[in-house]
Amino acid sequence: MVENRPFLDFLTHVVLILGVAVVAFPVYIAFVASTHPSSTFLRGAAPLLPGNAGWEVYRNMLFEGVSTSGTPPLARMMWNSLVMAVIITVGKIVISIISAYAIVYFRFPFRALAFWMIFVTLMLPVEVRIIPTFQIAANLSLLNSYAGLTLPLIASATATFLFRQFFLTIPEELMEAARVDGAGAMKFFKDILLPLSRTNIAALSVILFIYGWVQYLWPLLVTTDPQYYTIVMGIKRLTAVADAEPQWNLVMATVILAMLPPVLVVIFMQRLFVKGLVETEK
Amino acid sequence: MATIDLVDLKKVYPGNVTAVHHLNLAIGDGELLVLVGPSGCGKSTLLRMIAGLETITEGTISIDGRVVNKEEPAQRDIAMVFQNYALYPHMSVRGNLEYGLKNRGTPRQVIDERVAEAARILEIGDYLERKPRQLSGGQRQRVAMGRAIVRQPKAFLFDEPLSNLDAKLRGQMRVEIRRLQRTLRTTSVYVTHDQLEAMTLADRLVVMNRGHIEQVGKPTELYERPASLFVAGFIGSPPMNFFELPFLRDKGGEALPQLPEGASVIGVRPDHILLQPPTSGGIPVPAILELTEPVGGESHLHFRLDGSNQLIIVETPGRPDIAEGSQQTLYVEPSAMHVFNGETGRRLN
Repeated sequence: MVENRPFLDFLTHVVLILGVAVVAFPVYIAFVASTHPSSTFLRGAAPLLPGNAGWEVYRNMLFEGVSTSGTPPLARMMWNSLVMAVIITVGKIVISIISAYAIVYFRFPFRALAFWMIFVTLMLPVEVRIIPTFQIAANLSLLNSYAGLTLPLIASATATFLFRQFFLTIPEELMEAARVDGAGAMKFFKDILLPLSRTNIAALSVILFIYGWVQYLWPLLVTTDPQYYTIVMGIKRLTAVADAEPQWNLVMATVILAMLPPVLVVIFMQRLFVKGLVETEK
Repeated sequence: MATIDLVDLKKVYPGNVTAVHHLNLAIGDGELLVLVGPSGCGKSTLLRMIAGLETITEGTISIDGRVVNKEEPAQRDIAMVFQNYALYPHMSVRGNLEYGLKNRGTPRQVIDERVAEAARILEIGDYLERKPRQLSGGQRQRVAMGRAIVRQPKAFLFDEPLSNLDAKLRGQMRVEIRRLQRTLRTTSVYVTHDQLEAMTLADRLVVMNRGHIEQVGKPTELYERPASLFVAGFIGSPPMNFFELPFLRDKGGEALPQLPEGASVIGVRPDHILLQPPTSGGIPVPAILELTEPVGGESHLHFRLDGSNQLIIVETPGRPDIAEGSQQTLYVEPSAMHVFNGETGRRLN
């Protein structure tokens, strides 16, 4: 809209500022809470201005943990979350770009069936198949391991589908030109398809990293050893203390730390992310 | 440099659609052969079969006497220029030119020499480091040809390479392709649906229709003595006019010469229909002028035949002073008549 009406300007700004406030205020409260000593919260009121215990709270959480609620140091949990998110991201992209390549560029029997089988799995997210998946993971001795945390989540129908759609937009003549130029199937994939998919891969990485980072239910099920706890499930453990008030300053510090990596990823990958979603290089 | 021989070639697509019917053709060393025909006539399929991008249902293709039916495009040592150029968008112009050579393990020094040579011939040296999307249509076209040249293949295959360019650029590139092919003397097969392009480029012209070859020959031969009604109507612009024999007999009477047995359709090129009676033997045809199209040095006059409502085109030099809607008598020169049998479509004289 290129209308010049002061009232509309005012209104749109109010709406936007309200929107930002609604989203940002809880985050601010969490941050403020994480900078107070735990005694502040016994009075039942949440402070609105930062306290002076922040440094100590974060240092404690990161490197010592909370022994009373069986929480290992947050640094360990963040490392676990990072490993899990990265393995899931890389694994999902590798597997789905290869399967999309097969589905789009090779003629093999039951090709359409293969595609629809992959597509149908979209209807079966982890939560739906959680009991049989847990059974399999347990039988394969995958409990309490990075393999157990990541393998059951690593195949992605969504990513396969997105790559398939992208490959279909690449003109067939490009593949024929590569064939005339002496590029075999693997060379074509490596020299032409991968570079062309660069921005798509970047955009998907952002989405998949966040997906991996925020996993809650599955890590909760497969890990009983604090060695393998991830940070998102760690939040839950901190609040679930028996016969006492949760230490809210510690909980909020964990929340802030858990939020940080996805925010950083989005901020630093934003340019590539937007490019990957709106632009196709052809 | 190579010869290409097509023997008894047949292509049947899934669903039992036959695109090419038992086709025989020998392409000579260094020749520029143009395949021309309306869309769906099988010319592109034929080219892609030579390239190795389509499988062969029956028959053989041999390049330099070696049967290549089962070989991959790369093994056939041919280079192809595609309609949409098919440049690799993420590679620089240099990268595009080098890619085929690199895949063949050509030494670095040879690659650099060939790229420099191609860049010089095609005058693309100034933008070797640019990406294809930063180039204009004509420049992309040059790069696509450069990619073929650097390979020094046995044959060039062109698949309607100029159809994405505007008319002016198309004319320029046409001349350039001709010049290039003359210089390099590389056997070339060129597919187009544009008969002007076909006429001006070809050493030999192949007119295809519904998967069959209608006629093969020098462009001028095809223009002067088309072997069938289809070729007569396809080659030449504006197209040849066709008269039903009974109509000419009715109007022309005794002026009509003796015709071969079975003649039923008479073709006359637009420039062989005259507005003034010739010195001897013109067949008079009454017609009404419907529309005049001045096209510079000459004019195209659209007449409606008196009594049959058929439209014909007359090409005449200058701008004749005839009012649209006026009744005229046109004259057909008997010597310029192409006589056909309407049922078989074959030429009779």
